[in-house]
Formats: sequence, C-alpha cells, structure tokens
Amino acid sequence: MRRLAPLLFLLCSSLAAHSQVRTVEVRTPRPFGYFLGDLVRAQIDIVVEPGFALQAASLPQPGAITYWLDLRTVAVTQDSVSGGSRVRLDLTYQNFYAALDARALEIPGFVVTFVSDTDKGATTAKAQIPPWSFNISPLREVQPPAREDPRTYLRPDGRVASLDTQPLVVGGAGFAAMAVLAFAGLAWDRTWWPFAKRGGRAFAACLRRLRALAERGEDEAAYETALLALHRALDETDGRRVLADDLPAFLTRHPAYARERASLAAFLDASRHSFFGPGPAAAMRRLPLADIVVLTRKLTAIERES
Amino acid sequence: MNDIRSGDAMLTDWREAAGRFERAVRGAVVGQDRAIRLLTIALFARGHVLLEGDVGVGKTTLLRAVARALGGAYERIEGTVDMMPSDLIYHTYLANDGRPRVEPGPVLRQSEDLSIFFFNEINRARPQVHSLLLRLMAERSLTAFNREYRFPNLQVFADRNRVEREETFELPAAARDRFLMEIGLEAPRDAEARRALVFDPRFHDTDALIAGIESGVLDHAAMAGIGAAIQHGIQASPAIETYVVALWEALVRPHEAGIRLPGIDMSALIQGGASPRGVAFLVRAARVRAWLEGRDWLVPEDIRAIFPEVMAHRVFLEPIYEMRRSTIVPELCRAVFDTVPAP
Repeated sequence: MRRLAPLLFLLCSSLAAHSQVRTVEVRTPRPFGYFLGDLVRAQIDIVVEPGFALQAASLPQPGAITYWLDLRTVAVTQDSVSGGSRVRLDLTYQNFYAALDARALEIPGFVVTFVSDTDKGATTAKAQIPPWSFNISPLREVQPPAREDPRTYLRPDGRVASLDTQPLVVGGAGFAAMAVLAFAGLAWDRTWWPFAKRGGRAFAACLRRLRALAERGEDEAAYETALLALHRALDETDGRRVLADDLPAFLTRHPAYARERASLAAFLDASRHSFFGPGPAAAMRRLPLADIVVLTRKLTAIERES
Repeated sequence: MNDIRSGDAMLTDWREAAGRFERAVRGAVVGQDRAIRLLTIALFARGHVLLEGDVGVGKTTLLRAVARALGGAYERIEGTVDMMPSDLIYHTYLANDGRPRVEPGPVLRQSEDLSIFFFNEINRARPQVHSLLLRLMAERSLTAFNREYRFPNLQVFADRNRVEREETFELPAAARDRFLMEIGLEAPRDAEARRALVFDPRFHDTDALIAGIESGVLDHAAMAGIGAAIQHGIQASPAIETYVVALWEALVRPHEAGIRLPGIDMSALIQGGASPRGVAFLVRAARVRAWLEGRDWLVPEDIRAIFPEVMAHRVFLEPIYEMRRSTIVPELCRAVFDTVPAP
C-alpha cells in the first residue's frame, strides 16, 4: 500500500490534468486515395475546461516535419460549447512520399499546451494529439504489362475545342483599315503623294522643288529657280504678290511667320539683288541655296502648325 | 573711271538737295508727304503734273510752295470759259498814246527762263487752250511773233477741281497723256495735321507761308541735266523690263491676265490707253524714285510706288464704266500688282 500511494497520486494528478482537457477528436476527410503531392487535411477539435486558452507557441510550426511531409498551414478557431471551450485546429499537410505501392503512412502526433491564468497562479494542461494514418497509392503501375509498341503507353491527347479565328480576322482587318486611313490623313497633312498637288500647303510643295534643285547642285540658274519657287509659295500663301517692301504687311496678315522675320527679310533682299541688282552671284554670297532650303523647311513647319 | 565716280558723287549731292527740297516744302504743306514725294519725282523726271482734288485742300498752295522752293521764273494763269489760246501768248492792250499794242503774254513773258508754268483750274479753259498746251508740254516750244520760242526748263503744273462739272471741259486724252502724273490730293487724315491747319494762324496767310519757304533749294537750270544723269545712272535689269511689260499687258488686257473684279465684265472694261509714252514715263519716274531711295537699280517697288499716279489717267474705260472710274481704276491697278509675278 505504501508502494501504491505515489502511483495513485500520479493517477489522480493525471486524472485531474486530463479532466481539464475533456476530449480530443481528429477528423480527416478520408484515410485513403492520396498521391504524391496531395494535400492532406485534418481537423482537430479539443474541448477544454472554461478559462483555459491555447498557448500559441505550443502549436506545430509550418514547415518540413519529416523528409516526406510538410505542414503547410495551421489555422486556429476557438468557440465555446456547453460546459467548456472548443479549440479547432485546421491543419494542412502535403505529402511528398513517392510510393511504389499502396501503403499506410502515419502523421506523427503532437502536444499542445493550454494555460489558465488565475489569481492564485497559472495552471497548464497538455493535450496529446494522437498520430493518425492515411493510405497513399503510387502514381503509376509499378509493373506495367509489356507492350509491343512503346508508343501505346502514351495516351492520346485530350481533345481541345478549335478556336474561332473569325473575330481576330475581322478585328485585324478593321485596324489595318484604320491604319491606312490614319496614314492617308498624315499624307494629306504633309502633302505626300497622292496629295502633293493639293492647295493650302504652298511651302511644302516649294520645299520638294527646292530639295530637287539642291540635289542638282548650286548654279545660278538653279538658284534663281529656287528664289522664284519660294516667291510663288509666298504669293500663294498671301493670295497676292509679295514684294520686299510688303514683308511687314505680310507678317501682319500672317503673324505665325513673324518668328522668321529676319530670314524672310534676308531672302527678299537676296532675291532683289539677284533679279534686279548686281545679279545671282552676289545674291548667292548673301544667302546660299542651303539657307533658302532651311528657311523653307521652317516655313513649312509653321504652315503645318497654323 | 573718274567720270563715273564724279557722276556718282554728283547724284549723291543732288539726292541730298532733293531731301532738303522735300523738307522745305513739307514745312509749309503739312500732311501731304506722299504728294510732295511724287512732285519731287516729277521734278527730277522732268514731267508735267496735274493735281486733282476737292476745293481748299491745298492744291494751289502745294504748287506755289514747290515753285518757290525750286526757284526760277514762274508764271501763273487762271482757266476761264472765255479764255482763248492767244490770251496765253499775247498780251494786247491800248497804250497811253491810244494805239493798240501786242506784247508777250504770260507764257512768253519770261521767255526761255520759264521753269514753272502753273495753270490753275485747267478744266475751266476751253479745248482750244488745251490744244495749245499739247505742243508746249510735249515739245517745250511755241511759235509766236513769227519765231519759235523754246523753254528747256519748263514744267507745267496744273490743277483741277473734281467737284464741279458745270461749265467745265474735260481734258482731251492727248493732253492728259502728256502729263507725267495725275496726283489726287485729299485733305490730311491725321488729326494733328488737321488741328494745325485749322487753328495755326501760320497756315491762314498763304502768301506769308509761301514766302517763309527757303527759295531756290534746287538749281532749276541744272534740273534737265541731272534728270538725264539719273535716267542714265539707274540700271534696269532684264527681270524688271519683263515685269514692266507684263504690268502693261495686264493693265490693257486684264481678262487675259486672269484679273477678275466683282460686277465688271473684264473683257469689255478697257477701251484703250496706256500708251508707250505713258509706260516710258512710268520707267522714268520709277528711276527717279530708285535714285531718291539711294539705289542705282530699279526694283518692282519703285514701279508700284508711282504706278497709280502715272498710269491710271492713261487708261480709258468703256463709257458704261467711265462714271465709276474713281473706284474701278484703283482696284484694277491693285489687282494688276496682285496678279503679275515679280520677279
């Protein structure tokens, strides 16, 4: 009897401790039919005495548990049931065991700790979660029957519904038409072919002529032709003949060109010297053909903006 | 080489003298800078001038001021309905001894020294008088007292009132064509000039005003020589020759040049005119303008600056358009310059 006393005490104390954790229940969706890589879920309900709360540090940590088993997530919910509080652990494991045959694997149990803080001190209670097992199956037959043609091991491709290309073709054609229209608009604005002859872009047409002249080289005839071309563009822009003395009036009527006032004055002066004064050679020294092309390019830009 | 340089220096000196002349006239006649510039051009182009304008705008004052600043002998006559050609040439009267005498009239009185002959209200004189002027203006000569008088320095200035048409005689086309310019004179638009003209007593006494002008700014005897030097000294490039001929063609045949004026049948607008003499006058006057602007070559602006005054009165419209002449011809001139390309 004297030898029984400590054992009894242990039993009582353990009974007392166990009574603080009332029930532990492990629920799994199914214990079989798992393959390599499958997620294995478990729901563990633990009912404890009121006042006891789960010690979060005692929960298993997500991560590798064994070489073939990972714990992915741990979720805890707590609610009260009649005469106690229920803690529900939702565990998600992932199985990495590459089985060659169907076998049972055991997920190890663990212990969680509950704590009750009172005025008289803290009481802890441990709940032992028992291990549980599930069956896994190999992914393929271990010993498939030999076949003549190894290609017959391959399974036919799954049938895929054929895509309807009609909307893509229509859409593509629509965008291509819009691109052509936009390009036509740009060509109209820049008076590219086939709009080269349209009115209202006198300087643009003049610039094309000047470029052709500049390629031919700088001789006096080409220089005078270039002067005449720019004169005609000025005349067309103003709707009248613009002489050198008319520049201020021209700029009043077309203020956009005012920022080229000095260049225009130089051009008119050179033209005057070329046609009426000392001759084209003197004028070419005052204003080379290249400068006229540069001026016309700037005038073309202003013409487009305005 | 030396000759050319001295000629250039002479032209430069004369250009400065012309500037002084313009300033002197401008001191007495305010707000008429354009008319003064045109009169200066006419003086150096050795051309006769017809001034046209409303009553009291200063036609006579301007011509008197020009005559005063130019210096030289000056004669003036008023046109009347009963005036006869002989009244210009001969002065007939009864002398103290009771016998009739015939002496030189206004034109001959100063004889060959006459530099300005001023014909006031020329449209009041009869066509016979206009005919006499034809030879005087074109050849600067006259036959009287059985001999020929020559007037090498003569310039005829005439003025004409354009308001009245009663008891007036339209100048014959031949007489009009002999005038270098017909200058229309308007009262100044500038408010400052108008205030001065109305309130400044200086402008009320015309005689004192004219007497205040420096006399003989230009050497009138040398005008013919300098006029010729200008005509030889100012170059006309082939481009300007082409331009003037194109202007001429467009003025005479506007419909072929593509000129359109609203409400006018262009092919039936021009009856004639724009004589070769007129176009020669145009280039003469343009050369003088180029010289006054300090250039020794002509530019289109020179032609344009004097074109209406030189050419407008030489264009004869069909009778149906003649009444609207004062609006049609300026528009035609403007359209010609808007159409003919230069260069």
